[in-house]
Amino acid sequence: MITLALDIITTAAILFIVAAGLLIVFGVMKIVNFAHASFITVGAYAALMASRFGLPPVLAPFVAFLAGGLIGAATERVVVRRLYRRPLDAILATWGLGIVIGQLVTLVFGREVQFVPAPISGTLEAFGVDYSLYRLLLVPAALVIAGLFAGLLNGTRLGLSTRAVIMNENLAQGLGIDSTRVRLITFGIGCGLAAVAGALITPLASVDPNMGLAWLIGAFMLVMVSGGSLLTLGLSCFVLGGLQVLASTFISPILGGLTIAVLAAVALRLRPQGFARA
Amino acid sequence: MTFTRSLPALLAAAAVSTLLAGPAFAADPIKIGVPVGLSGANSVVAPSVVQSAELAVAEINAKGGVLGRPLALEVADDASGAAGAQKAFDSLVFQKKVDVLISMETSAARNAALPIVTRGKVPYIYTSFYEGKSCSPFMYVNAWVPEQQVPPIVDYFTKQKAAKTFFLIGSDYAFGRGMLAFTKAYIEKTGGKVLGEEYLPMDGTDWTPIISKLKSAAPGALITSTAGGAPNVTLTKQLRAAGVTLPYGNLAVDEGTAKGMGTDAEGIFLSASYVTGIDSAANKTFLSAMQKKFGADLKTPNDLSVPEYEAVYAYKAAVEKAGKTEASAVLKALADVAVDGPRGKIAMSQQHHAALTMYLGQVQADGGVKVIQSFPNVSAGLQCPNLKP
Repeated sequence: MITLALDIITTAAILFIVAAGLLIVFGVMKIVNFAHASFITVGAYAALMASRFGLPPVLAPFVAFLAGGLIGAATERVVVRRLYRRPLDAILATWGLGIVIGQLVTLVFGREVQFVPAPISGTLEAFGVDYSLYRLLLVPAALVIAGLFAGLLNGTRLGLSTRAVIMNENLAQGLGIDSTRVRLITFGIGCGLAAVAGALITPLASVDPNMGLAWLIGAFMLVMVSGGSLLTLGLSCFVLGGLQVLASTFISPILGGLTIAVLAAVALRLRPQGFARA
Repeated sequence: MTFTRSLPALLAAAAVSTLLAGPAFAADPIKIGVPVGLSGANSVVAPSVVQSAELAVAEINAKGGVLGRPLALEVADDASGAAGAQKAFDSLVFQKKVDVLISMETSAARNAALPIVTRGKVPYIYTSFYEGKSCSPFMYVNAWVPEQQVPPIVDYFTKQKAAKTFFLIGSDYAFGRGMLAFTKAYIEKTGGKVLGEEYLPMDGTDWTPIISKLKSAAPGALITSTAGGAPNVTLTKQLRAAGVTLPYGNLAVDEGTAKGMGTDAEGIFLSASYVTGIDSAANKTFLSAMQKKFGADLKTPNDLSVPEYEAVYAYKAAVEKAGKTEASAVLKALADVAVDGPRGKIAMSQQHHAALTMYLGQVQADGGVKVIQSFPNVSAGLQCPNLKP
């Protein structure tokens, strides 16, 4: 029972970490960044490089954020910027961008699975059961990301401009807010967060050029269901992730793998605006 | 336009390459078709397969070829899938008109390509381990089937580790389920008990609920059969993170993947017909010849590439025994010839399959595989009772 509860909480945390970057891009720009998977991969390879250069593992997520953020900002200028008024084309373009990034990673590092040493291993005795220490650590990691994200959006000048752009871009521009710059920074932060997710999941995942892809559909569904707010993303990760764990445990892991996609589709059918109140 | 300009250049190139061909062969080359997945999932292993074939062909040609004719390789990319395999086989058989096909393929690709092999009446030596019981009068197999791979691990766990109960985990696809179905039957036949059998879809990344079930079942040993590469790595990492230290037999791991898992792979048991650590003169000669030919570009020889090398020699022996390259004569001879290679002496004499020496290995801290025990001449069992010898 306790194991099950821990499975649900840690699964929700991992899903939240993976989906957060996608949420910020979708929330501000109303476009779905299908290159998200590739930025997760970029982050994992950044963690790989960090460990090869002998940096302490604690720094890996920061290195990943820089790498993902810079590459993300660069692609925003070159590709994504032209597509804000064509969200469907943006899906295609970012999907293609993802393929390009995946191939570049393959060219540099090769197709094979890479080895990144785990920063911490072993289990922790929690509430009477042995549980993976690293998975438990991802819960505070998810909370930190959520806290920073909320702080950025609600407590800074940039956050204010961003919220203004979300609400009414034309009006924001009229007030002198440089919405192009806001979008550039937001896309960079979104990609940086995807890369942080990649770095954080490396100890539990295989590091190879396609590693991000497996997470994309789940993250996409969660963001759609959440309706674009941070709090509801947390909620949908908890509900859908929890149901995934329950289905996997009590029915079959194969059905569990379908849970998020199927339930998200049902949820959106019943309530197209998602969990969000608006 | 391009044609007229490049024709003289082509002719010149052809003339030069004929001159450079070394020991002049009067006759046409014997063409060996090698359809492999140079792109897609198999592209991790395909280059090592091609290198093996190249070494075998170079060695044989340096010693005068086969029946006075040189061997020539025709490599075709099958994109690691069934549709790609059909194209690759079709072009090799009907356009390049190869004399024999020698390659590893996924099971789906092999099944898709066999009708083409039958239509073209070309001998096909299949060099990949697989789930067994694929039968064609045109196909011979020199790699392992479940009857050969599974017993060493189960027997070792039962006898040496005193394991009476087992837990099985796999990827949800034909090979994963086929291997574990055989494993389960074998465990039950030998008096053991299977406490659980769980599968995750091939693109699944989170094994947590399965690992929780494994821990609460508390079996004596764990046997897994995932898809190669990523699923194998994620499962092993998450098992280790969850503190699972059971005897762990992995039916899908090879030396390359074990290196990718680093310290997490330490202690895993595997069963294969080839590991680089085989302590025989033939294997050492083979490894140093590969090293010499490919140098820094060498892809580590493995359980999928070494059978390719041996199969080229098996084909040579069969053609020499038949005295010609005509398909039906070669197919008949393939059942009779035995070839000494890195894996030992191998004859495809058991219903188009081969008895093999299997090695039980354990992954060491440095990622290398140490041979714990060898099981000489394990029979392939009854694979194709309806085929003549």
